[in-house]
Amino acid sequence: MGNKLISRMTNAAKPKDMTRRGFLVSMTAAGVAFGFPRASYAAMDPAAVDGVPIQATGDTFEPSMWYWIDANGQVNVNIIRAEMGQHVGTAIARILADELEVAWEDVHITHVDTDEKWGLMVTGGSWSIWQSWPVYRQAGAAGRTALIEAAAKMWDVAHDTCEARNGTVTDGTNTATYAELVAAGIGRSFTADELAALPLKPHSELRLVGKDVTALDIENKTNGKAIYGLDAKVDGMVYGVPMLPPTRLGSSVVSIDDSGAKDVKGYLQTLALDDPSGTVPGWVVVLGETLMAAKWASEAIAVEWSAGDTANVSEEDINARSRALIADPETGGILPTETPDTTAAFEGAADTLEAEYTTQTVLHFQLEPVNATAFQNEDGIWEIHTGNQWQSLILPTLSTALDAPADKIIMRSYMLGGGFGRRLNGDYTVPAALTSKALGGKPVKLVFFREDDAQFDSPRSPSVQKLRMAFDTDNQVVGMEHHAAAAWPTGVLVPSFMPKGVNGAPYDPFAIDGADHWYSVGAHQVRAISNELANKTFRPGWLRSVGPGWTNFAVESFMDEAAHKVGADPLAFRLEHLKAEGYNAGSAPNAVGGASRQAAVLQRVAEMSGYGSTDLPEDTAIGIATTFGQSRSMPTWTAGAVKLRVDRENGEIEVQKMWLAFDCGTVVDPDGALAQCEGAALWGLSMALYEGTKIENGNVADLNLGSYTPLRMIDTPEMEIDFVESTEVPVGLGEPGTTVVAPAIANAIYNAVGVRMRSLPIRPDDVLAALKA
Amino acid sequence: MLKQVVLGGLAVAVVGAIGFGIYAYKPAYEPIAADQNAEFDPLVVERGRILAAAGYCATCHTAADGEPYAGNYAMETGFGTIYSTNLTPDVETGIGAYSKEAFRRAMHEGVDREGRHLFPAFPYDHFTKMTDDDVDAIYAYIMTDVAPVKATPTENELPFPLNQRFLQAGWKLLFADFGRYTPDADQSDEWNRGAYLAEGITHCGACHTPRNALGAEIASAQFEGAEIDRWIAPALTADNPSSVPWNTSEFKSYLKDGVATYHGIAAGPMGPVVHAGVRELPEADLDALSVYLADKVGAGDADPAQSDAVLASLDSNRPDPKYRRDLGARLYATACASCHYNTQQIAQGRPDLGINSSTNLDTPNNLIHVILDGVNGPEGMAGVVMPGFRTALTDTEVAAIAAYLRDARAGQPAWPELEATVADIRVNGPQAH
Amino acid sequence: MIDFEINGRPVSVDADPDTPLLWAIRDEIGLTGTKFGCGIGMCGACTVHVGGRATRSCITTLSDVEGTNVTTIEGLDAEAKHPVQDAWRNLRVPQCGYCQSGQIMQAAALLQDIPNPSDEDIDAVMTGNLCRCMTYPRIRQAVRDAATAMTGDTNNG
Repeated sequence: MGNKLISRMTNAAKPKDMTRRGFLVSMTAAGVAFGFPRASYAAMDPAAVDGVPIQATGDTFEPSMWYWIDANGQVNVNIIRAEMGQHVGTAIARILADELEVAWEDVHITHVDTDEKWGLMVTGGSWSIWQSWPVYRQAGAAGRTALIEAAAKMWDVAHDTCEARNGTVTDGTNTATYAELVAAGIGRSFTADELAALPLKPHSELRLVGKDVTALDIENKTNGKAIYGLDAKVDGMVYGVPMLPPTRLGSSVVSIDDSGAKDVKGYLQTLALDDPSGTVPGWVVVLGETLMAAKWASEAIAVEWSAGDTANVSEEDINARSRALIADPETGGILPTETPDTTAAFEGAADTLEAEYTTQTVLHFQLEPVNATAFQNEDGIWEIHTGNQWQSLILPTLSTALDAPADKIIMRSYMLGGGFGRRLNGDYTVPAALTSKALGGKPVKLVFFREDDAQFDSPRSPSVQKLRMAFDTDNQVVGMEHHAAAAWPTGVLVPSFMPKGVNGAPYDPFAIDGADHWYSVGAHQVRAISNELANKTFRPGWLRSVGPGWTNFAVESFMDEAAHKVGADPLAFRLEHLKAEGYNAGSAPNAVGGASRQAAVLQRVAEMSGYGSTDLPEDTAIGIATTFGQSRSMPTWTAGAVKLRVDRENGEIEVQKMWLAFDCGTVVDPDGALAQCEGAALWGLSMALYEGTKIENGNVADLNLGSYTPLRMIDTPEMEIDFVESTEVPVGLGEPGTTVVAPAIANAIYNAVGVRMRSLPIRPDDVLAALKA
Repeated sequence: MLKQVVLGGLAVAVVGAIGFGIYAYKPAYEPIAADQNAEFDPLVVERGRILAAAGYCATCHTAADGEPYAGNYAMETGFGTIYSTNLTPDVETGIGAYSKEAFRRAMHEGVDREGRHLFPAFPYDHFTKMTDDDVDAIYAYIMTDVAPVKATPTENELPFPLNQRFLQAGWKLLFADFGRYTPDADQSDEWNRGAYLAEGITHCGACHTPRNALGAEIASAQFEGAEIDRWIAPALTADNPSSVPWNTSEFKSYLKDGVATYHGIAAGPMGPVVHAGVRELPEADLDALSVYLADKVGAGDADPAQSDAVLASLDSNRPDPKYRRDLGARLYATACASCHYNTQQIAQGRPDLGINSSTNLDTPNNLIHVILDGVNGPEGMAGVVMPGFRTALTDTEVAAIAAYLRDARAGQPAWPELEATVADIRVNGPQAH
Repeated sequence: MIDFEINGRPVSVDADPDTPLLWAIRDEIGLTGTKFGCGIGMCGACTVHVGGRATRSCITTLSDVEGTNVTTIEGLDAEAKHPVQDAWRNLRVPQCGYCQSGQIMQAAALLQDIPNPSDEDIDAVMTGNLCRCMTYPRIRQAVRDAATAMTGDTNNG
């Protein structure tokens, strides 16, 4: 079936010996194919040419489910996190390898498929390293301890006379490699309590953590061999492209006329999906023998829908709703800040400051459009081949959609062509699964063209935020309020993840984190409000740096505004309020030092940038901002400064340089940390100046690069990034860099030309209008 | 490539009917049998092959997906569709029954073996300038090397009276200037060789010389430029609008390789002229053509690389951090510059769009054609492709890019009705491939 | 049936001539290193070489490449040791890696035409290639490094 390639290639071998599982899965170069190994091994090694993980030689020793060592001394580390550019497998494996004392060359990684035993499978929130750090260190320590014990027993010496280094145990006289010890057989296992009690290496003994190591996935990402979801190939599969209904929810198909597609060669059929899970109501999938057959057919098929009630919703409608909600004090959840009741502070205030900030809808536009390949294998297991960030979240939905128990569904791991939070929401796997279900389990590869991916995105919600500050007669800050209204990704997709506010109402931390800042401002009320009109118009998404990506635009712009109001320097004003007292004093293990560490990175970035220098050219200025990364529970102390020039003629902003300073505790992977911070900061810049769309007629207005204009090479300024040396718990770095850039830019614009920009993205025409106002 | 030749049947109105009848009458030549021709000298056959290529005969005498020279290539005229004839030596349906003399009369006078007047879509008004020797060589080639194909072309779709072939004689009487090429004694042998080729076998004027209402080339306006299939065949005179003057080496490179670094590539109807045609000519003939054409455009011998136009264009090509302010500038920076940007000098294969002919012509047609449908296969540089943006860009976006190039890069006055022209060419312009 | 060469080997592909080259390469020929990003020639993820020149394969049709030589990331260098690839690895440019085949192919073509590019040259040519991980600072440096390596080789050779 399908178009045949009549290949004259000499090496176009027919797949051989690949019938272990009924369906051939080939994901590779010319004519080479392999059958997926048994399900438990069906995972991905990004360092292997074909993605097939290392197979053990001889006996293995498996001190925990996180890794094994084989009789050749090779170590395979199981990674439950998705690889989407953070080189997470390498970072986790090196934590383990360090504690295990094994040579890095012997370390391999396997991105595992879903299985209940792995527990929660999610990659997001910049949590991976923070959460993996204790687990893999303990696991490594367990292996090291067991190997030392085995060697000591073999030599009949006390185990505290032995030490392990680089895959070898020695007592000064005897030596044994891990390979030899494993080959001899090790049966030691550890209880959870034993694991917790194991001594970890002191920080000074860490040999891989903090050192320069080339990530295991780099090689295959420079030679075309890395395998992403879109590269999945299953023998006999057909291609599907979706036809999206006019509204994200509430649409239904009235009629389908595919007569126009009958002449398209390779067109197979058109399905109106029946979705018990309610994930993709009103969806139509067009099938073809080739992708283009399906695509061309879809262009010739007429579908009539009955649209849901959000068909005319605009961004203005959503923002108007947000403003109405903010005006109603009964709405939303109030966060457990130290003194959330601000009534007295504002009633007794000598003066107040108030400002509204808005941010536009933002697309993920991860470069690999969402896609999924689904089929039922010969064991009756539904296989979903795709790149995904939160398998545990979508599996129950797939179970409902497929009407199959969760243990009959497995998600295979692939590299992600960009995550940025889009693939936390695995909704795109559902139409693939439903299509295969409708075809009796036949393999279907569902491909979203870019426009479909954009329309079906779970975008960053537009937001409206109202901030207030109360001052006493001495211009001292005595109270602050932050009211933020937006769609709630967690509220829509995982309501169980939402904590309850002090007023008993739940709130989405991912739509408010950042507002609960570490400044000591007296009474401090933070109110998160869910915009239900937005929630039903689109599926709100988590997008790189989530809430802090936009709440901090408000907080850190507002801190500047407050400083200027009381005639203080914004740097001094901030430092004065980062007192590290009481609620902001911090706590072990994750937030040791509290606000004092935030003050330190802020000072660091001020020094790096020369903030405050008075000899800058006309209309040129530096702005600063500081945040605590993603959440109070796991603060990454972050500060940024941006130097820019505003062109008064046309409102253009020329960003000349950006400085960032981070205190993320221990830096596990210095080069990777730098890469994450570079990328995060540039995302911040992109969303500050270049990226933004609007909801129009119930959908995002910009569907492709003709009108959606993210940052490119030419827009990339010079950057200087610094990390505070620390031995504290390592926390996340994937997102914090994003959070400081927009407010630093807004503050720099104010410093340069005296206009205050309170909406993101900041477009030249808006600057020009503000200059003329 | 004469897809749009107007038919001159109306000429009958101005000619006395009787006299015209006598004039129009042409006798038939006796058919010859398939084996009647003696074997031709291989050197002559080879020369014929080259001349047939230089006249790109196969381009118009081969249908899409058809056998070479079997005809049936559809040409849209302003009056209806006509289909080219079968030139293969098939006795029944091709020209297998043509004697050498019959073939000569067809080439020199536009009359077929049976005495019927041929439509001037067949440029006999150029071939009439060819020597008997050259015409005979083409005959030898066709009879020897072209495989006979039995194929009867589709009946022409012309309304009465345009379908009356004898009326074509009137058109000839009015417009055709029969007779062999006469050298210009004031010019060099090389120039005269170039002129002989250009005015004869390569029939440059068929596209580059404007035609009158009845479809005849206006002799007094030779090479002044014309429109064909919504493409512009630029003037090959001093009115040529290039920002960098053509010279012999640019012409040579263009005719040989389909690309002139300081002007552009042979695309659209010009594609096969080079790639299926004139490039086959010997070096000396290409030189001669280049000398002749360079003289026609009044070329100097300045080094294009150092011309002010080139330096200015390179300067306007610098990446602009404010590229987002203008839709065209932004799209150019994101979709075009990766291939079209040049640094210190213009590199062959990185066409500089500030000096490119397509952005300096009075109408945007050629530029729009190329943006929509790209450059590929039988066009431009051999083996190099420019993808078409037909499915990628809207009319507004194509127009924005064209406007940006016209203004910011070529420094020329804006083209009017740009978006409408894009829409027209998108729908009505024949795709080049 | 469209005939052309890919990575030095002749192929004949039996598919609709309007099929984008990208999908022919990925789905018919089975070389998946070339990626799909935007489908309108504005992200560069699908960049291959046709006749040695960087070409966006998502808007290039199969019929366009009849008789040409196409090179994909898999064929840029038999050992994957093209100086551009070396520079990419040395600087650990890739994050998610999805755009990098296109970036590398574009950079290799850039250095053919402009062996010693200025930063301005790099910006002008590489701006057509989107990287959502925003690895631009490293791409820029890697292009410089590759240029140095390549011109150094030439001088020494």
